[in-house]
Parts: sequence; structure tokens; C-alpha cells
Amino acid sequence: MLRTGGSGLRSRPMRVFLSALGIAIGIAAMIGVVGISTSSQEELDRKMAALGTNLLTAAPGQSFSGSAAHLPDEAVDMVGAVEGVESVSAIGKTAAKVYRNDHVPKEATGGIGVFAARTDLPGTVGVDVVDGRWLNAATSRYPAVVLGARAAEQLGVHASGPETQVWLGDRWFTVVGLLAPNELAPELDSAALVGWPAAKEELDFDGFATTVYARADEPSVNDVQEVLGATANPENPNEVNVSRPSDALAAKQATDDALSGLLLGLGAVALLVGGVGVANTMVISVLERRAEIGLRRSLGATRGQIRTQFLCESLLLSALGGLGGVALGIAVTAGYAGYQGWPTVVPLWAMAGGVGATLVIGGLAGFYPAVRAARLPPTEALAAA
Amino acid sequence: MKPSVPERECREAERFVREEGDHEVPPPVVELEQVSKTYGDVTALAGAGLVVRRGEMLAIVGPSGSGKSTMLNIMGTLDRPSAGKVRIDGHAIDALSDRQLAALRARTIGFVFQAFHLAAGVPALDAVADGLLYSGVPRAERRRLAERALRRVGLGGRLHNEPHQLSGGEKQRVAIARAVLGDPSPSASSRGGPKLLLADEPTGALDSRSGEVVMDLLHELHRAGTTVVVITHDRDIAASLPREVRIKDGRIEHDSGIAGSDNGRAAPRAFAAEHSAAVVERVGR
Repeated sequence: MLRTGGSGLRSRPMRVFLSALGIAIGIAAMIGVVGISTSSQEELDRKMAALGTNLLTAAPGQSFSGSAAHLPDEAVDMVGAVEGVESVSAIGKTAAKVYRNDHVPKEATGGIGVFAARTDLPGTVGVDVVDGRWLNAATSRYPAVVLGARAAEQLGVHASGPETQVWLGDRWFTVVGLLAPNELAPELDSAALVGWPAAKEELDFDGFATTVYARADEPSVNDVQEVLGATANPENPNEVNVSRPSDALAAKQATDDALSGLLLGLGAVALLVGGVGVANTMVISVLERRAEIGLRRSLGATRGQIRTQFLCESLLLSALGGLGGVALGIAVTAGYAGYQGWPTVVPLWAMAGGVGATLVIGGLAGFYPAVRAARLPPTEALAAA
Repeated sequence: MKPSVPERECREAERFVREEGDHEVPPPVVELEQVSKTYGDVTALAGAGLVVRRGEMLAIVGPSGSGKSTMLNIMGTLDRPSAGKVRIDGHAIDALSDRQLAALRARTIGFVFQAFHLAAGVPALDAVADGLLYSGVPRAERRRLAERALRRVGLGGRLHNEPHQLSGGEKQRVAIARAVLGDPSPSASSRGGPKLLLADEPTGALDSRSGEVVMDLLHELHRAGTTVVVITHDRDIAASLPREVRIKDGRIEHDSGIAGSDNGRAAPRAFAAEHSAAVVERVGR
């Protein structure tokens, strides 16, 4: 039966190609959407696994009076004492600004903030130094600065070293290190980081931490998150903003999902149109092949066999489109993921679902034409030739 | 095939002796009794009666619109009569379901059409093999039988040609091979093969030379034992066949009866008469 169904398709390759293409586009669109969103999810999961989801931050919010609150001096030590916290560090915003040199106008800050940073910051946040080195106990006391990735780019600094200097807080600071971009702490990307003692001495830093970073051990992340506010500022826990940066990344992913849903719907419409195309092809095929139907009846085919033949043909046609669509969808996913530098992941359920959906569509689209072919009286079918 | 003919006749003789007792006539393959067919207001057949016995060869001849194609369709079970009784190979067709009719067509009846009805792009061998597609014969066996049938019609060298590579006469011979595929030689009798070959204007689309070849082939099949019914409007062809049935306005106008010495015994008196009532009486027994 499959062979007989296939022979009907073989004799009209162009039409088969075009009507299978309709189905293929629909399936490819759906597979592509699912594949791309899965691939980006996979990329996020990998990134999360690398960065860790156990980083928490505490920052002063606003007081009841509306003025900016600040964390107490001992906040960092208090947080470090919480059970489950593996390491803790902090940065504190200073009022100073940084410029490429002393000729740059005061207002052209480029959005770069100057922060005092504790020497244990990289260990807690997980930020990498791409050039030079991080501040140590010695350089923290001297006019030395480490630049975030975006800050370095804006200041035109491409390498650290004794002769690389920037104009920071009305004096020259030496750039001792450059940081890699960091997704969990994007605020560091546009920061110029100086040592805590140096900030106090040179930049009139008040010594209050503006962001406390705490790395908790995985099982107690939620517990730590709950008590972090109260620990950082026991007097006014409501003035502390506690957040988990990995949540923000996941939330961004969720907004992408809404778009994916829309595209998936679009793919479904394309698939439906493809199904109508197959139905149309089959109806025309039945009309054109009345002589063949008559001949087959005269050779002893029952109505059921004629029906099966045309149904088979329709199923083959859409299965062809379905398989082509899956292949096309995988290619699109691989292409896009490759372009984005993501891993290519197409879930098996999407492929199976795609092929399954085409078979359902083929069955529905082929049913009416097949019944019509079977109902055709053999004499009428033969006379039409 | 030829050496098999006497054997076959022996076998058949035994059979009709068994079936018909003391009547020395072959069993009927086609029995039409007061058959009418109307399409709306148009009457295509008006009470036609006809008996075709196994191994006969006859022409049904008449002008267009005389009802001969309708008669062929009814004999081929492609159409059911509006009134009257039809028995094919002993089966009353009004009692058969679609499935049973299809099986009857697959086993017992072979068709040859004026327009050949060969699918474009299908090699001759596969087209012929399709003749047994609905008989439950495995594909390899179908192809083996198809090759034999094509050799039998003299197209052994054209097995893999597609219809557009064949002449009209060759196409019709392919169609005949398809219709008689597995046609009984005694060794293959279990396959059945068509006992009844219905040819609707088989030479209508051919030049006279190709037409002759095709008619020769039909004669040869007849000699080998196949029952052959040829529908034609060509009086010359009709006259060249052992029996000629003239049809006009849906009625049998003339029936020459069964000719030929060996088959003469099978010609019942009733067939020579124009009175269908006589046929009714005959069939009714």
C-alpha cells in the first residue's frame, strides 16, 4: 500500500515538493522557535552553573523620610557571621569621578562610578581579572585603580601598568588591573575600583558599604536571603534591598518565553496553511486521477483499498513535509545558536511532536479526498478519461 | 501455451460434466437476464438478455449510444443494473458486497480499454504486475507473472519501457497482458487469472495494422481458453469473431449464436432468437 501511495507522489514531484514545503515551513518555524529558546535556556543554564546562583547582594534602600539610607559600618562583618555564608565582600560608592586625563570637562563622566572595594571582592563575586592584578593590601593604600570592562573601554584603557594613569578625584591614579565583564554583578562593569583605605584618605569616602556581596552555600541560599536584610541593618531592616542577581537573569529569560509563545503560534498558523495545501493537492489529485481510480477498481480494488491508497498518499506527503521541516528547523536552530555562540539543543519531544502533528494533519487533510475517491463510481471514473 | 489446450479442454469437459450433469455445454460465465439500465430519463439498456459460456469469443457490436458500453460495464460488475438479474461466473451480483465484487473483478474479470489506461511514468512490467495488485499475490510473484505475460504478448523486449516509449499497439498489448496476467495455463490454474476478458473498443485508438496485431492476440488468448468479449462498433471486426451480438437502442437485435465446430454444441437455440423471453426461459432452468 505504501508503495502504491508513493507511486502517486513520484509521478508529480514538483507539486509534491511545493505542498510538502508548506508543511515543512510550518514545522521548521515551530522547531526553530522551540530549538532557539531551548538553546538559549541551555546557554543560560551553563552560564548559571559557571557563575553560581548562590550570590546575594544587600544594598541600602531608602529610609522612611525618603533620604538615602546607608548600611551601618559593621554590616559586612555581621553578614559574614551568618550561618551558611561562605564569603562576603563589599563596595562603597564614593563621590569622586574618573576621567581619562585632567583636560576632560568635569561633566563628561561617561557614567563611570568610583567605588571603594574590599580586597576580597573577586573571590566573592567571581569576577576575573583579565589584565594586571586585583588590589591587594598594599595597593589598597595607594592611588591605584582597577577598571571594570566597560569603564576601561570608555576611558580608552586597554592595558594596565605603571605608566597607565587616569585622572581620578583630582589626582592621578595608576591602573593596576582590568576586569572581565560579569553578568551577576553588571554594576562592576562600569566601575573604577580603588582600595578602601585609599578611598578614605584620598577621596573623602565615608566608609559606608553601598553593596554587600555574600556568597552562600547552595542549600542555605534561601535562608540567608531571608535574614540578610535584618543582618546588614538590624535597626532598619526594611531599608535594605536584598536581591539575588541570578534571579534577574532568569526573569529576562522568562520575558523571552513570551515572545517564543507568539512565534510558536505563528508556526502553528503556517502549519495549518500547509495542511490546507495538502488537502487541496489531494482533492485536485483525486479529480485528475479518476481514470486511475477507475482502472484500479476494475483491477479489483475495493472502495477501502482506494481510500487507503489516497490516505497513504496524503500521509506520505505530509510526513515528507514534516521530516523536511524538522531538518530545516534543526538547521535554523544550529545556525542561530552558532551565530550567538550558544550550544545547539533541539528537544526530542519537539521533533517527535512536529512529525506527529504532520501525520495528524495529513490524515485530516487526506480524509475527505480519500473518501471522495472511494465513492467515485468506477464507470464514471473510467468515462472521465 | 499451445500444448496445454487439449489438457485444458479435458479438464473443462470433466468440470461441466460434473456441474451440468448430462448437458454437454460449458458453464456460463456471463448471464444477463432482462437487464435494464436507466440513467435518469435515459434508457441505456432495455431488457437485454445474454449468456456467454466459458471459452467463447464474441463481439458485441452496435452504433454509439446503443448501450454496448453499459452492457460491458454491467458484465464487468463496474455498474449494477436498474432491473434484471446478472450472474457472473455463477455469482448473482446483486447479492455481492463491494468487497466481494472487487474480489470477483480481481480474480475473474480482465478489462481492456480503448484508452489503454496505462499510468504515465510506470514501466510496462510494473503496469502489468499491477493487474494482480489486489489479488494478494506477493510482489515478486506478480513481477514474475508480469514478465511472462509480456513475453506472451510479444513484448519481452519492452519490459522496462514507459508508456511514452511505446506505440499505441504496444500499449494496448501491455494493457492486455495486464488483463490476462496469470491467465490459466494448467500449471498456473490456482492463480485463476481472468476467465473473462472484456475489451472495450480495443482497436478504437489504433491504426489498422496495430489493430490487427491486437485482434490476433485476442484470438490467440481465445484459443488458449480465455473467454473474450469484444465491444466494437466496427462491423468487420465483429464479423471476424465466432459469435456476433448486435445491439441497438438497449436491446439485443441479433445474436449469431455460437459458431465453430468444437463449440457448436454449446450454442443453445435460444441465443439465435431475438426473443429475450427465450433467454429468460433458458437461464431460468
